[in-house]
Amino acid sequence: MGIAVLLKQVPDTTAKIGISGGRVDESSITKWSISPYDEYALENAIKLKESGYGDVVAITCGPARAAKCLTEAAAVGVDRLIHILTESSLDSIQVQSLLSAAVKESGCDVVMCGKQAADTNSGSTGPGLASSLGFSCVGGVTGVSMDGGVASATRLGPSGMEEVEVGVPCVFTFDKGDSELRRPNVRGIMMAKKKPIDVLTPDDLGVDESYSRVSISSHSSPPKKQPGQKFVGSESVPEVVNKLREEANVI
Amino acid sequence: MAYEALDFYDIDSLLTEEEQMVRDMVRDWVEERILPNIEDACRDGVFPDEWRAEIGEMGILGAPLKGYGCPGLSYIAYGLICQELERGDSGVRSFASVQGSLAMYPIWDFGSEEQKEKYLPGMAKGDLVGCFGLTEPDYGSNPGDMITRAEDKGDYFLLNGAKMWITNGTIADLAVVWAKLEGEIRGFIVEKGDEGFSAPEMKGKHSLKASVTSELVFQDCKIPKDRMLPDVKGLRGPFSCLNNARYGISWGAVGAAQSCFNSAREYALSRIQFGHPIASFQLVQNKLSWMLREITKGQLLAYHIGKKKDDGSWIPEQISLAKMNNVDMALEIARMSRDIHGANGILDEYPVMRHMANLESVKTYEGTHDIHNLILGRHITGIQSFTREP
Amino acid sequence: MRTTVISESSNGALHPVTAQLVGAASPIGGPITVICPGGVGSYDASHISGVTKVISVEGDCFETYDCLAWSKSLSPLVEGDLILSSSSAIGRELISSIAASKGIPVVQDVISLTDGFSVTRTIYSGKAIEEVVISSPCAISLRANSFESAGEGGNAEITTIDVSQEVSVAVKQALARASERLDVSEAEIIISGGRGMGNPANFSHLYEVADVLGAAVGASRAAVDTWDEIPHSMQVGQTGKTVTPNLYIAVGISGAIQHLAGMRSSKFILAINKDPEAPIFGVADYGIVSTWEDALPVLKDHLAELLSN
Repeated sequence: MGIAVLLKQVPDTTAKIGISGGRVDESSITKWSISPYDEYALENAIKLKESGYGDVVAITCGPARAAKCLTEAAAVGVDRLIHILTESSLDSIQVQSLLSAAVKESGCDVVMCGKQAADTNSGSTGPGLASSLGFSCVGGVTGVSMDGGVASATRLGPSGMEEVEVGVPCVFTFDKGDSELRRPNVRGIMMAKKKPIDVLTPDDLGVDESYSRVSISSHSSPPKKQPGQKFVGSESVPEVVNKLREEANVI
Repeated sequence: MAYEALDFYDIDSLLTEEEQMVRDMVRDWVEERILPNIEDACRDGVFPDEWRAEIGEMGILGAPLKGYGCPGLSYIAYGLICQELERGDSGVRSFASVQGSLAMYPIWDFGSEEQKEKYLPGMAKGDLVGCFGLTEPDYGSNPGDMITRAEDKGDYFLLNGAKMWITNGTIADLAVVWAKLEGEIRGFIVEKGDEGFSAPEMKGKHSLKASVTSELVFQDCKIPKDRMLPDVKGLRGPFSCLNNARYGISWGAVGAAQSCFNSAREYALSRIQFGHPIASFQLVQNKLSWMLREITKGQLLAYHIGKKKDDGSWIPEQISLAKMNNVDMALEIARMSRDIHGANGILDEYPVMRHMANLESVKTYEGTHDIHNLILGRHITGIQSFTREP
Repeated sequence: MRTTVISESSNGALHPVTAQLVGAASPIGGPITVICPGGVGSYDASHISGVTKVISVEGDCFETYDCLAWSKSLSPLVEGDLILSSSSAIGRELISSIAASKGIPVVQDVISLTDGFSVTRTIYSGKAIEEVVISSPCAISLRANSFESAGEGGNAEITTIDVSQEVSVAVKQALARASERLDVSEAEIIISGGRGMGNPANFSHLYEVADVLGAAVGASRAAVDTWDEIPHSMQVGQTGKTVTPNLYIAVGISGAIQHLAGMRSSKFILAINKDPEAPIFGVADYGIVSTWEDALPVLKDHLAELLSN
């Protein structure tokens, strides 16, 4: 029993991303936050704890500044905080190995995380982690409840919202749902300040952080938007629709 | 979250993590709960009860007070709370200022142990609402000559008189009322059900519309003997409360100014005239630049007086400066912002005129602008110029 | 360089993105194997030009989607230096799971791919572009419509493999959606109407287009204020919601500054308005000067045709 919630610190989704020297300029980022989908995972993890399914362990993997995520999680009721401390840029195998080791150490049999992080927008961590842990995986859920050893999760299926059942251990990746994200209060904030953070290094977890199979070549700004194109008459609609697909790639 | 408050000199870097988290908690709450609903609340002239409950839940009432269930936060944190609430609306911040600085504080500092145990925990949670009765219809800047009086009747006090312009009055469970007992000002706790006490609401306001403003009427109002605040006599009592509230207001005004500045900046960048955004015109840039200057100065004043409140090295005149300066600049910024918005600025699509109207009250209450000016004048010269007395 | 493509299906048939995956792999060179979960689309896959082999994987576990079961079934059969899938929700999950079980790295939602492997993807929700080099063997998911489709004309051999894998996720029941319609704040595509729609009943035409696109329907303040039938929850603008969809379609909306405040950060804006001077055309990427009565039916039909292919 026990719920591990994986939190990733990302630039706040409203932050401007500055690029300098072919790289994203981290110093230009004014605000760092918990990745939005992870917030839903956090809310649901605490809900599950409140229903009696054990304690919540929050795990983050990142540089020193990522500790803030854990403090924010503690302020809303997380029991244990684990910070996998690394300054390195990691590939999916490294990240999943680190998280996998931390989850094993925590003894949790339910893992919750966002369906994708707001920086990479990838969504590899949840399913990849499930695979390496040998856990089941249900993606894109909006809520999870437990009855005996069986979990019920709501997710968007091919024909609409559906309820699925799965046994533990299991990884759940979260989509935005109807859950209202609880606010911390002053008491929670003050208690969070005192909560210790278990700091682990990749070395501690037996993962080589120096060997990454993915290396960043460059960062650049998206191409400037083309000036607006104006058309006259409904006869132009098909042409515009084609442009929406070919040029804009939005449909 | 979309809101980025102007912080040109990076006051943020001076805050502790706890202070930032408290500020962010209130900021998020204002974003989610106040901003989408404030225009309706103003139009209807109501302070929704849910806001009281949610503010209570956040645990921010009586922010700098320690013990009895109170938050025990730093004065900087208290200032940040006021800043964020007032970025939403001055009326919302008034609720918290009155509750914390004017009703909880006097009980905390001057009350008996029994009074503290009885009232403070409930007030900290927002379950009990308090208000502060000092101002009278004929005694505003001159509270010393108040005519509300208390008589010692042996086993009870009898209160007679009226107070006016009392925030929270009609919704309050208790009122901290200042009245003359044998010619000397004392504090009394009057409870909602006390015989001879009523608190009708004052209607027809063009300012602080989302706030409850009331009269407190005492007609042979009987209150038990244990309701007097034992530890304070004279104007020192109410003035200590006011100093705390004024401190919070100096931060609150910054919040309102930040809101007006943001709105003006965004509007100026979007509004095209003569083929260009008005933000490209020199007169508009001059105004925005002035706003940035004043907000930055105001932030530094508020931050510094906050540090002095926290280490105890402050004097009341320093608070007068901060309150007076910041409210004055905020009101100017609101007007200037409205001007930049053009005709659109008069619509409740934008917060500016609401802030402008609110700040007229904020400039007058908690010591008018002119009174604070004279407080400083007296400090500088040693000569009081409030009255014509020799 | 051996490539395995995990095919994508939709409604029981091969999804066109599969041919794009093959098309992306072709310049890399070497044999291309397409693996079809549940055998869906294996015949069509074998006819994509450039495909060397098709593996049709069949079993009960493919009746509904179960990440672990599918991954366990497919992983032993997936070989190669490069594994490709589409970046659909299922595509990403599956390829992540398979990559992890093979201990190879994965990069998602890539928009360009060259030998090396050098790939490009967007990060920070499109605010920046990242170019990375990923060492082989590796797994990469590709964004739909970013690569040239391989043509027809292939004639690959289809091998059928039966697997039986325990399914761990069971669908218990279908739920009614709490609200019939997507909320504007959640949608990737929004179509909004203004006072130019004439009367609230005409919003039905917007709903028809929305249904084709899977879009949410919004409204300008003018529409909300004028008509009780258009609720405030649909309002986009200064005092309504601020939205950042991939595509915002403004119909009969003049583009007053308060409305723009709510939607100007949309990735792409299409405006339909009969007034050629309407301010909305100043921010639109694509503007069509036409009445909505003329434009919307054509829009609906053409979109429906395009999306069904």
